[in-house]
This record gives sequence, C-alpha cells and structure tokens, in this order.
Amino acid sequence: MNINLEELKSDRQKNSEERMKFVEFWANYVKTHSDKEWSRQQNVLIDSQIESAHNLVKKKVEK
Amino acid sequence: MMYDENKREITLDRELGKLDRFVIDFCKLPKEYVIVSGYVSILFGRSRATEDVDLLFPKMGFHEFEDLWKRVYGAGFECINTSIVSEAFDMLNEHAIRFYKEIPVPNIEFKMIKNNLDEYSFRNRIKVKIGKEALYVSPLEMQIAYKLFLSQGKNEKDLEDAKHLYNLFKEKLNKDELLDFVNKLDVKKEFEKII
Repeated sequence: MNINLEELKSDRQKNSEERMKFVEFWANYVKTHSDKEWSRQQNVLIDSQIESAHNLVKKKVEK
Repeated sequence: MMYDENKREITLDRELGKLDRFVIDFCKLPKEYVIVSGYVSILFGRSRATEDVDLLFPKMGFHEFEDLWKRVYGAGFECINTSIVSEAFDMLNEHAIRFYKEIPVPNIEFKMIKNNLDEYSFRNRIKVKIGKEALYVSPLEMQIAYKLFLSQGKNEKDLEDAKHLYNLFKEKLNKDELLDFVNKLDVKKEFEKII
C-alpha cells in the first residue's frame, strides 16, 4: 500500500486549523449567548458521555 | 457570566450537568482546594468532556486526611488506588490519588500542592459562584499559560483549552500577569497561536 505522507500531514494541519477556528467560534458563542443557553448544549455532549460510561459498566455487570 | 477581577469572583448562571454536580459534590468535602487544568475550561463552556478533574490541596497531616477520607467515603466516593487510608496518605507524597462515585469515569485527581506554580494557583484562586454553589479555580492568566506549556507535547486539547479561555476572557485578563507567565513558562510560540 502506498501512503502519501505529505498529503496526510497537510490534512492534519488543515484539520488542526479548522479545530482552532471552531474553538474561536464556540468561545464567541459562549460570550454572546446566555449561560443557560450554551450550558444546555454543552451538557448534552458531556452528560451523554457519562451516561455511556454508566451503561457500559451496567452491561458488563449484567453479563 | 460576570467576572469581577477586583473581587476575584466569577458569577455563572449555567445549568449544571452531571460532571458539574459530581465536582460540586466532591468539592464540598475538603476544607481548601483549587481546581486546575481541563475542568476550568469546561466549567466556562469548552465543548468537550473529560475523564478526570484535577484538584490541588495544601499539605495536611494524617489525622486531617483521615477525617477527610471519612467524609469522602460517607458521601459515596471511593478511592481508585486503595481502600486503606494510611496507604492513600503515603501515596500522596509520591503521586495523585483518584476518587470516583459508582463508576471510574469521571474521577477526581487529588494532588498535594508541591511547587511554586501549584502554590500560586491556590493562593490566587478565583471563586466561581453558580447559584447557591461555589467552586474555586486557578487564576485564568496562569491557567492559560500552563495549558500552553502542556500543549508543547503536541497536545491539541491543551492548546484549544488555552484558546477557549483566552478568547472568552481576553478583555478582562491581566495582560502583564499573563505575559509574565508566558515568559516564565517559555511558551511565546504557543501564545502566538492563540491570539
């Protein structure tokens, strides 16, 4: 299999730049919206991760 | 979100999620502490989850630690490293110990204050009021610079945490203090990436 390392590196760089742009966008969103509004959205993301961890442990115990 | 720099106090009107409740429950137990690292960014809105929350506390004797241990277990937390209080106390001189409730994620990484930076974070901590609750977090200038320092290991997450805090609070930050930490931690190159 041929791997174009230069292409991968360039994609990685672009991805990193896009992520930084999103961080800036989101910080601006937090600044310009009410705490209730952004935290509700943030909680969906974080709570779901914690719930997944709980469910995983529950499933293992049931087995 | 309101930041009163003079009072070193931030008032947040955020809804509490499962992670926030977990942190608030634990933080009611030690007499004094300061939250450092990733959860500081998350508390202020960063859109990511975390496995652990770092808490620094001042050095304490065995009996004080034993009292804390009882309160921690009484509140339903358990130590990941050991269930024996004397072993946990000995470990604290070498490394952090971790506490969890029901499942190991998320957990509290409980670390004794060991160096000047830890001491500075503790002495200059900021009170964050969330309704009737309160948490104490590391000063933002120091937090941003330290996250930049951690990002030198090519850790994008730390660079993004620093950028989030910088963008969010840039009008309120003490620029001299921030630049001082940037110089001391030798993170000028990383700082350029987030401004």
